[in-house]
Amino acid sequence: MTNTTSGRAPVDVNDVHRVELSIPADPQMLFLARMTAAAVAARAELNYEQVEDLRLAIDELCITLLHFGVSAGQIALLFQWDSEGTLDVVGTLVPDGEPSTNGNAPGKTGRSLSAELSQRILDSLVDDHGSDVIDGVHRAWLRVRRQELSV
Amino acid sequence: MPNDAFFEVTDSEQPGVAALDVRGEIDVATSPELQEILVELIGREPELLIVNLTDVTFIDSTGLGVLVGAVRDVRAAGGDLRLVVTEPHIIKLLELTGLDEVFSVVSNTSDAVRP
Repeated sequence: MTNTTSGRAPVDVNDVHRVELSIPADPQMLFLARMTAAAVAARAELNYEQVEDLRLAIDELCITLLHFGVSAGQIALLFQWDSEGTLDVVGTLVPDGEPSTNGNAPGKTGRSLSAELSQRILDSLVDDHGSDVIDGVHRAWLRVRRQELSV
Repeated sequence: MPNDAFFEVTDSEQPGVAALDVRGEIDVATSPELQEILVELIGREPELLIVNLTDVTFIDSTGLGVLVGAVRDVRAAGGDLRLVVTEPHIIKLLELTGLDEVFSVVSNTSDAVRP
């Protein structure tokens, strides 16, 4: 059985690896997402610079989700990569209660500036990224392709 | 390491100069504390505020946003803010966000106090 993606050769699903992480939607917990991102990036054989880039990109992805605001809930992260060097991450915000403003983030003006910077960072560090809302569920995702080191 | 960040305000021998040493990870959890300290330092109306990021191992958009707010406030009060940065990935981050054009960035504290 194979997965096919437009423009790419078929990938054997046995070569697709998945890691799932669920953390509280709390700024204090984002270090766990960064640690996992670094570990996954190493397993996916990304180079050192890409590992650092992915740590930051995952942090920004989680910030995107936190800015939607939850009173309590979880951020669920799904890391999926294949032997061809494509790594996809999907983050989903799973609120426990009604949406509210997160009180631990910088003020509104600082947040809009940070949001702009966050977009610039993601534009620069990953091959593709985005966010959407499906049936009221906030998602953010990104894709990174492994860069081969030139010798 | 879980969201460890340390901030130390250093009294400079030079009048009008305030310095802040930052260590650890500056993210959405620790940026509010950085913002508080910078607001307090800017309230002293320094001619020059030096923020030493030499021992910062990670900074994200919220940390950068706090620093951009600080440089705006310092300059609005007639002063200036300089960053001391040596970590290659932080230099890269400043470049890719275009903030290397916003901040005066130097590689050591001696250069930071030079006119």
